[in-house]
Amino acid sequence: MVFSTPYFLFLYLPAVLFLYYISPLKFRNFILLIFNLLFYGWGEPVYILLMIFTIVLDYFAGIIVHRCKVRGNDKGARWAVGISLGLNLAILFFFKYWVLVASTLQGFGLNVPTFDLVLPIGISFYTFQTMTYPVDIYRGDAELPKNLINFGTFVTLFPQLIAGPIIKYKELADQMASRTHSPEKFASGVQIFIVGLGKKVLLANNIGQLWDVYLATPGAELTTLGAWLGILAFSLQLYFDFSGYSDMAVGMGRMLGFEFLENFNYPYLAKSATEFWRRWHISLGSWFREYLYIPLGGNRVKAGRLVFNLFVVWACTGLWHGASWNFLLWGLYFFVIIVFERFFFSRVLKKLPGWVGHIYGLFIVMVGWALFAVEDFSAMGLYLKAMFGMGAGLLDGDFLYYLRSYLPILVIAILAATPLAKTLWYKAPVRARQVAIPVLALAGLALATAYLVDGTYNPFLYFRF
Amino acid sequence: MSKKYSIFITVLFCLFIFGFGIALLVLPDREFSEQENRYLTQFEAPTLDSVFGEEGKFMTDFEKYVNDQFPLRDQWIQLKAWSERLSGKQENNKVYFGTDGQQTLFAQYTKPTDLAQRVNYVNQLGANLDVPVYFGLIPDKTWVWADRLPDHAPLADDGSTIRDAQALMSGDVNFIDLSDALHGEDVFYRTDHHWTTMGAYQGYTALMSAMNGSFTLLDSEPTLVSDSFYGTTWSSAGAGWVKPDEMYTWVPDNGFTGNTTVTRYPEGLPIEGCTLYDRSKLEVKDKYSMFLGGNQGLCVIQNPDAQGGKLLVIRDSYADSLAPFLSLDYQEVHLFDLRYNRTSLKQYVADNGIDQVLVLYSSSNFSTDANLFLLGF
Repeated sequence: MVFSTPYFLFLYLPAVLFLYYISPLKFRNFILLIFNLLFYGWGEPVYILLMIFTIVLDYFAGIIVHRCKVRGNDKGARWAVGISLGLNLAILFFFKYWVLVASTLQGFGLNVPTFDLVLPIGISFYTFQTMTYPVDIYRGDAELPKNLINFGTFVTLFPQLIAGPIIKYKELADQMASRTHSPEKFASGVQIFIVGLGKKVLLANNIGQLWDVYLATPGAELTTLGAWLGILAFSLQLYFDFSGYSDMAVGMGRMLGFEFLENFNYPYLAKSATEFWRRWHISLGSWFREYLYIPLGGNRVKAGRLVFNLFVVWACTGLWHGASWNFLLWGLYFFVIIVFERFFFSRVLKKLPGWVGHIYGLFIVMVGWALFAVEDFSAMGLYLKAMFGMGAGLLDGDFLYYLRSYLPILVIAILAATPLAKTLWYKAPVRARQVAIPVLALAGLALATAYLVDGTYNPFLYFRF
Repeated sequence: MSKKYSIFITVLFCLFIFGFGIALLVLPDREFSEQENRYLTQFEAPTLDSVFGEEGKFMTDFEKYVNDQFPLRDQWIQLKAWSERLSGKQENNKVYFGTDGQQTLFAQYTKPTDLAQRVNYVNQLGANLDVPVYFGLIPDKTWVWADRLPDHAPLADDGSTIRDAQALMSGDVNFIDLSDALHGEDVFYRTDHHWTTMGAYQGYTALMSAMNGSFTLLDSEPTLVSDSFYGTTWSSAGAGWVKPDEMYTWVPDNGFTGNTTVTRYPEGLPIEGCTLYDRSKLEVKDKYSMFLGGNQGLCVIQNPDAQGGKLLVIRDSYADSLAPFLSLDYQEVHLFDLRYNRTSLKQYVADNGIDQVLVLYSSSNFSTDANLFLLGF
């Protein structure tokens, strides 16, 4: 299921909220579990079985690890962690990457079946959330859940199931056991949710149509300014799509009594690639740091090993974003730049004025999005050539048309990618804000509804993750 | 936020999502949308097979059902169109807003990639038949009214379709260049892709000059029959601010001499005694089907008072408003629509003693129609 649809917003969500709040506290996790599975299975019902397998696997792995530890059997505990990690990664590999591997091998003339599997929705998010649970039990960072239902509800929690933020069990364990519900929490959730809905439906979908135009433009016809306008559109679409989803997740989490961490912190204000990754998809970065980078030795190692560690982390980060070689290229692009910044350029950047850093950061990130967004390598080459002035001239009539049509929405989106609105908002008197909240909330809901009812155009960028 | 204020915000939000959700479930479902001119998806109860088999058919159908039956659907669509317009967009749902205060709507025009193949079917027809074959393409609204199209609108007819088609013609077919035939403020509907009665008359004079050497000059004025026509382009755009179009007839229902009769074949069997206009269609959304009663595989107009012989027109719906003029000059006008008629053209021409054949399409239909290959048989 996808949040930004009329059936989710006006049927599923009211049904969840209604049944959740009329149920006694002790049944609420169970109610959520049922709805979570409905949410998950909506697109592909058979994958509910896969989901249940993952839940049971990790739940019992946790119990075995815990028992081994209690009995002082460290070796047994490590084996249990290893086996559950291996199975989780095998599932992820098979369902997400097998088609890529098989089709690549077929390219070399090997006869391997692709199985034509549909990617289970959100598999990249929930496997990352669950497979570290036995690790945390082993490390003593997490307690065993009270029962299978609590654990299953955590794994399938619908607000963050398909597009994050990636939440570790240890962060949510207390809230799974007990959480508070209050009108204040609910109302703040409503506001965050509507902001997220607006980001997704009114900004991301809208600007996405501009990117679609440039993605569909044959490479030989791309002009330099057109290619940059296209990549600007994609940068804004991706950010508002993803952060809009995260906001909706945080908002609906609060309506149900949960507190999730924020996933974005104005990434396009970053003054370097390193800083960008501290602001973009924060929960993914922290996951890789905690479960991959630091176990590899982190940065307390010799320079050569550090470069290797960074290489592994960025290759994995790239591939996590999708089963296609361009995502690997995109990850390695950041590997090269981050190594460059770490060993040399960050010292230079510090001495330069701030605006130089902003331009540098945006330039790096936007060129990166071209690698990310154009999957076909020859088309990607033509797109980059056009961006760097080797296209069909500087601009054409199409560019003028689209610039004029999209200028207002682009300006709004660019401003919305900065903290400006937030700063102004909190400068306004409380009274004015109290009047503005219901007006803006209703206007946002109504406009989003209008776009959703009208639109067959509602692509969801994260099915591939 | 105080508790009271939080409750207020909570209630507001819940009223919105619960309210529309319940309204969706409780209100009766609509069968047909006048605004969109299409049938709406109905609810179908889930079955084991539709849920677990057929790639989740129940779920995808249910999503369509909710979208189609959403309370106030038409109003939401118009609100979105307004929002696009106010945010500076020059188009909505693949329809350009004209520069005349967004009153003229243009369906976007995409040039065909397989024009040579399409023209070749016409050439084949010319080679197959012994009677003279004429071919005309009606220029797109985006070409004729380019002056009120947004600046640099990318998806517009630049005249190249007609020019390229002409260059691809063989000697068996007489090409009639209509690219400069239409002039004026009233040759197209603002809300529809079709030409108006006045536009069709200009097209008629250009066609007749080429095929006949003369045409009938009309000294009467066109008659207003409707002032509330909203066409298909308006439906796509959801542009609620646009004023409706006026519709006119020019040739009377049974011709100027009162002897013109029309035989329609909407389902294959003839319906005799029809006239040039079906005025009952003025009461429905699709008012353009007033001309000859709408889509049909074959329609024959007979005018015993005319000078010319028998003309076969292989055509799209633009010919519906053109045919009344053609009937002034031909004793029989046979209108043949390849979408609904699979009769062999060669056979038809021989059986009916056809004297001239005209292949007439709008540029956009000629670029997209999937039945042109039938011309070659």
